[in-house]
Amino acid sequence: MSARLMVFSLAAAIAYTLAYYFDWPLFVYDLTGGELRFFATTASGPAILWYGWLMTAILAGLVATLLVPPRLIERFLPDLLWFVPAVLIVAALLYEKRWFL
Amino acid sequence: MITALLILHGLAAVGLLGAITHQALAAAARQDIRRRSFFARFRVTDGALYSNAVVVLFVLVGAMGAMLYPQYRITVRPMLQTMDLRAANGVFELKEHFSALALVLLPAYWATWRQSASDYATARKWLTWILAGLVWWNFVIGQLLAAIKGLVL
Repeated sequence: MSARLMVFSLAAAIAYTLAYYFDWPLFVYDLTGGELRFFATTASGPAILWYGWLMTAILAGLVATLLVPPRLIERFLPDLLWFVPAVLIVAALLYEKRWFL
Repeated sequence: MITALLILHGLAAVGLLGAITHQALAAAARQDIRRRSFFARFRVTDGALYSNAVVVLFVLVGAMGAMLYPQYRITVRPMLQTMDLRAANGVFELKEHFSALALVLLPAYWATWRQSASDYATARKWLTWILAGLVWWNFVIGQLLAAIKGLVL
């Protein structure tokens, strides 16, 4: 059970990073119409992609939990658990550096 | 309604900040109860007791933040863009990513605190410190943006 939760977290965190890097929201929340647009990346007016990126990540995490046998990566899990989030934080800082240049 | 939600969001965030900071310091401490300084005593606590509270508070703060987000996009973000406050916009974008990363890392965080095996001691400590760092960033940036909005309007 614990190993599956860890696999979920690692997969979801990686998927979230990929989702905002490559614009893969599960849906877009259209602020003008107040509606969700599935598998879209734009809307007619201002839109929120964050909800969709998060859902993409949760979905990917659930799929990984079902597909990845925890025994396969159990040996590496303790190290991956802190190393992967640290790398993903650096990736977020690099991605958003455009605002500070 | 939005103001009440913003206040509740802030109050829950204070609770989360306190809980995870205490736990992070406890996770890094040597359990030496002979030391009598305030700081040493502050750190001598059972960190495992905090994990449920941290998860519940984080989900609560995250859910309220998600409900407030459309209002931010409609009122605060356009103001930041009009005033050309790019850095303020950027720090919020980071807050957005850090919130999502922390939310999806919660199951692993919770699981490491349930593991008694010493293999997970390092992961538990660093994951807690990473989450504490993200919570601190999000709290400070939230206060900063609320202050910018309050000062301008």
